[in-house]
Amino acid sequence: MRDPYDVLGISRGATEEEIKKAYKALSRKYHPDANINNPHKEEAEEKFKEIQQAYQQIMKERTEGYSYQSGGYQGAYGGSGGSSGSSYGGYGDFGGFGGFGGFGDFGSAWGGTGTGYEEDNYLRAAGNYVRNGYYKEARTVLDGMEESRRNARWYYYSALTHAGLGNQVSALEHARRAAAMEPGNRDYSNLVYQFENGGSWYRQRQYTYGQPYNVGNSLCLKLCIANLICNLCCGGGGLCCGGGPYYRY
Amino acid sequence: MFGYIIINKGDMKFKEFDIYHSYYCGLCDTLKRQYGKVGQLSLSYDMTFLVMLLSSLYEPDTELSQVKCIAHPFEKHTVRKNEFSNYAADMNVMFTYYKCRDDWEDDRKLSRLAYGRLLRRAYRSVCISYGAKAKKIDGLMRELSLEEKRENQDIDYMAGLFGEIMGEILAAKADEWQESLRTMGVFLGKFIYLMDAYEDVEEDIRQHRYNPLKRRFESPDFEEEIKTILTMMMAECCREFEKLPIIENAEILRNILYSGIWYRYEMVHQKREKGREEDDA
Repeated sequence: MRDPYDVLGISRGATEEEIKKAYKALSRKYHPDANINNPHKEEAEEKFKEIQQAYQQIMKERTEGYSYQSGGYQGAYGGSGGSSGSSYGGYGDFGGFGGFGGFGDFGSAWGGTGTGYEEDNYLRAAGNYVRNGYYKEARTVLDGMEESRRNARWYYYSALTHAGLGNQVSALEHARRAAAMEPGNRDYSNLVYQFENGGSWYRQRQYTYGQPYNVGNSLCLKLCIANLICNLCCGGGGLCCGGGPYYRY
Repeated sequence: MFGYIIINKGDMKFKEFDIYHSYYCGLCDTLKRQYGKVGQLSLSYDMTFLVMLLSSLYEPDTELSQVKCIAHPFEKHTVRKNEFSNYAADMNVMFTYYKCRDDWEDDRKLSRLAYGRLLRRAYRSVCISYGAKAKKIDGLMRELSLEEKRENQDIDYMAGLFGEIMGEILAAKADEWQESLRTMGVFLGKFIYLMDAYEDVEEDIRQHRYNPLKRRFESPDFEEEIKTILTMMMAECCREFEKLPIIENAEILRNILYSGIWYRYEMVHQKREKGREEDDA
């Protein structure tokens, strides 16, 4: 497949607006509706599909940066995106995890944890299902296990399964439960961190607007902005600034 | 309708507000033409967002005109109308009808029964034009109200049902953007459902009515927890929005998605906190 940036006729450093403009211009030209009387309409249709794919691929690459690139939202916006992940330090290899929702890429969330936890056959089966994206099957196995066998690992798999099925609230709860049952486990605490901070780019953008409803409280807002700026400088998604749950105002 | 999908006017340029308002007027006018005064009464900001989102994505031929209307009898203002004004008007009528049916069945509100009756003819004509879509939304609405009667406390499931309804409404066309719009709608719907539950939770507990957040409301971390959950939903919605090739009016839409949508949350949250401080004092 051709380089998607070439297909749209733009450089890799193009801003999102430039990408969108290039896409719109080309798609208007090659859209099947605009080529009904074109003797080469099949070629136009092929071209249209190619443009469509190129655009979606570029946007996918760029938006996936949102989730794990602290402040990466602004970065990608200004056109300097691309080097996603690196700013996140140790969390970089969580890539593609897209918070919740669209992910499909849990694979990378599996650290090098041994299988020592999984003496239980059921649990091992559930783990395999999750790793391969068979969330429904994983759910069935997990739900079939009685309460007494539900250890931290169970809650961890359950959290990933819920996330894969779009059950954000249960995913967060089960991840926390796993982390609380086994506080030393990095996989568990990382998962909680990801879920809680998947929306940090959203919050950063949110603070470029004034409070939609405001009676006083402006000091708190200023503090939030200060916290935000601080996080941007440290480039650590709040890690070095002692974690910034912005919503605490 | 729900009144959550609104702008943050303080942060909007005058020019942007005029454009937003012109789509709002266009929707109002379309409702009146298609469904008469009865239809016009169902006008909502939520559906104005839908018109603007679809118009900005598809950039259809849009009719521009100047009108005077009852709400503003002395000044002329701009009206923008296109195929999506019609679509949103249809969706608005359908949805309002369902809301009336629910409100009547749940709370026996006579006013809603009466209004629902008036809307019935309009509703039937929408059902005919949108066969499969109308059927799907109807099924989901019925399931939602059934599960509410069963006191289902699985908020992922409940919010998910409403999310599917919104997904169906946003996915206006069967084309290459259908899936992105549906995903946006799913998360927007989850946000609205949970926001609505958050707003009503105290009252629902008092009145012994269903609310999916009843159990959680007891928790000391309730406020923080809800804010995290709501943010997760909007982040997912916007992740999908940012992928769409929208240039025209993108700032107006962002004003709604990143800021205006939090208006009611902030209002409820601040009032509740204040009430708590007073209780403590």
